[in-house]
Amino acid sequence: MAHVILKDLVKTYGPVYAVRDVSLTVNDGEFVALVGPSGCGKTTTLNLVAGLIPITSGDITIGERVVNDLDPKDRDIAMVFQNYALYPNKTVYNNVAFPLQMRRMSSSMIDQKVRDAARMLDISHLLERRPRELSGGQQQRVALGRALVRDPAVFLMDEPLSNLDAKLRVQMRSEIKRFHQDFDATIIYVTHDQLEAVTMADKMAVMNGGYLQQYDTPAQVFANPVNLFVASFVGSPAMSLIPLEVTTAGGRTILTSAEKWTIELSDQNARKVQGATSRKVVLGARHSAIRLHKSQVAGSVPAKVYTVEPTGDVTFVQVFLSGTVVNISLPPTFDVEPDEQIWLAFDQNRMHLFDGETELALQA
Amino acid sequence: MNAKSGVSTLRRRRMDGWRWGGRIFLLFMLIYTAVPMVWMLLTSIKSGFAAMAFPPEWWPSEPTLASYRNLLDPENSVGRDFLRFFWNSLVVSTLTTILAVLVAVPAAYAFSRFRFPGRRFLFFSVLLRNMFPAVIFLVPLFILMRFLGLVNTHGSLVLTYLTFGLPLAIWLLKGFYDNIPVQLEQAARIDGATRLQAFVLIVMPLSVPGIIATAIYSFIGAWNEYIYAYTFLSKNEQLTLPVGVQRFFSENTTDFPGLMAASFMMSVPVVVLFLVLQKYFVRALTEGAVKH
Repeated sequence: MAHVILKDLVKTYGPVYAVRDVSLTVNDGEFVALVGPSGCGKTTTLNLVAGLIPITSGDITIGERVVNDLDPKDRDIAMVFQNYALYPNKTVYNNVAFPLQMRRMSSSMIDQKVRDAARMLDISHLLERRPRELSGGQQQRVALGRALVRDPAVFLMDEPLSNLDAKLRVQMRSEIKRFHQDFDATIIYVTHDQLEAVTMADKMAVMNGGYLQQYDTPAQVFANPVNLFVASFVGSPAMSLIPLEVTTAGGRTILTSAEKWTIELSDQNARKVQGATSRKVVLGARHSAIRLHKSQVAGSVPAKVYTVEPTGDVTFVQVFLSGTVVNISLPPTFDVEPDEQIWLAFDQNRMHLFDGETELALQA
Repeated sequence: MNAKSGVSTLRRRRMDGWRWGGRIFLLFMLIYTAVPMVWMLLTSIKSGFAAMAFPPEWWPSEPTLASYRNLLDPENSVGRDFLRFFWNSLVVSTLTTILAVLVAVPAAYAFSRFRFPGRRFLFFSVLLRNMFPAVIFLVPLFILMRFLGLVNTHGSLVLTYLTFGLPLAIWLLKGFYDNIPVQLEQAARIDGATRLQAFVLIVMPLSVPGIIATAIYSFIGAWNEYIYAYTFLSKNEQLTLPVGVQRFFSENTTDFPGLMAASFMMSVPVVVLFLVLQKYFVRALTEGAVKH
C-alpha cells in the first residue's frame, strides 16, 4: 500500500476545465471518497490517477514515484469500474487471473493467488462461470477479486455500487468497508451518492465544477461545511437554506426575511455575520436543528406545512418558509397535518451562516 | 369481467390477422426467391434437349449429372476453364476479404475510439463512395489501372473490390466497436496490458462476429462482381466465374444445363459460407438495436 498525492492537478478539454487545481493527499491505508454531482470532475480525477487520460498540468505521486507519464499498467494500481468491466469472454477464474498473467507470473503461483482471492470474496464456486451468468453482487465481487489479487499500491473505485439494487447496495457497502479494514487498503472511491461517502470513507473530497470544495473527515464536512454548495450537497435530507438580511439595532443583531419575520442571533452567531461582505446572508439548518411548534413561542417564525413523510422511525416534514422548503424531522408520534399553520424555532448552536455574496461559511 | 375478456379475444384475433398476413407474405417471398434456384437446379440435371423442350418439363424425365461431370473434369476444355475460373474467383475473393479485414479492423477501431482532427470528415468521405452506383467509376478506375499497369491482373480487381467493400466493412465494424465498453480496455490497461495487448487480447475476441460478418460481406461482393471483372480482364486464363460463365452462351446454341450447373456450383461457396456463419452475420447487423 502507498500514499497518493495530487498537486495542483489540472485537466482541460479545449477551453473547458474538467479538473481545476486539485490538491489533496491520501494517506497510506486511507479510504477517500471523491464525491460530487455529475460533471463535477470526480471521475476525471480518478482517471487521471489511473493514467487513463493524460494530465494537463500538476503532479500525481503514488508511493515515492511521480507517475505523471507512466502507463496505467506501470502505476501499480487496480480499478473497479461502475459496470465492473469484467472480460465477458473469459471465465471468472481467468478474469481474476488476467492481471497476474499479464505480469508473467508462473501458473502455479497464479492458481494459488486466484483461489485465495476467491475464498476471501466467497466466489470459489463461481470460478468456472462467465460474467453474464452471475448476479450483480457476484460480478461486483469478481471485480473486487480482480483488483485485489495482485496487491496493488492503490485501489481506485468508480461508482462501484451504483448499478446494484438498493438492498444489495447497502450490503456491498459494508463489504467494501470491511475489505478496506481487513487489507488496510488505500482506496480512492468515486461516488455521486453523499451517503456512500459519509458512511464508508475516512475522508471525503467534495468536488464541484472541477474544483475541490472541501477535503476532510465526513464528520467535519457534515458539521462544518465550508460553503453553500457543500452544505446543500452533504446530508440527507438536504440542509435547509434560507436567504435573509442582517440588520443591527441597539447592539442586537437580527435576521429579517422578505416576509418581515425576524430571528435574533446569539452573540456567537452575531460575531459570525459581522464578517459578511454585504447584508445578505443565508441561514442553514439541518432537519434535526429545527424545532416545530404548534403555537408561537419566543424566537419562532411562522410557516405552513407542505408535506408529511412518515418513514417509520422518523417523520420528515417539509415546510414552506419564505418561498423555500425547509426539512424537519419529528418523532413519529408527533401529529401534524398538511397546510397546518405551525411555528419554527432554529437551534442557535447548530445553525450555519453563509455569506450571501461569496457563498462561503461565516466564521466567528 | 365479460367486457374485459371480450377485449382480449378481439385483440388476439387482430394479432392473428397480422400473423397470418405475415406468414402469407413470407411464403410469397419464399416462392419468389426459391423458384429460380429450384429451376436452376432442375435444369442443371436435364439433358440439353430436355432443357429446351416446350412445354417445359417440370421434372426431368431422365435426370443426368453429365453437366457436372463435364464441368469438374480437368481433362476436357470446358472443365479445365471452369476449374480455372473457379480458382481465379477464389483467389480474388479471398485476397479481397483478407485485405478488407486487415484494413477495416484498425480503421474502424480508430474511428470508434480516437478523437483526431478530420475524424468526421474522413468517416463521411468513406461513406461518400456509396452514394454513387459502381458503374460511374468504371472508366476512371480503368484509366487508373492502366496507369498503374494493372490491367489484366487480378490485382486490379482486388483493389477495386476493396474500394467498394471497405466503406461498409468499416461502418459495420465501427458499430461493433462502439458497443464494446471502453472500460474493458481501460481495465485491461490497468491490469497490465499495453494498448495493443488490450486490443488484441480483449477487444478482438469480442469483435469476432463483426469481423466474420465483414469478411462474408467482402467475400460475397467480390465473388459475384461482374462488370469490373469483365472490363479489366480480357485474357481467358484470368477470367473470374461471373464472366467465365458467360462462355456457355454462344451465337447458335446455349448449353443451358451446363450454364445452370456452373451457376449452381458458383453459388455453393456463398451459400455454405452464409449457412455456417449466418448467426454472426445477423448479430452484426442488429448489434446495438437492442440493449443487452
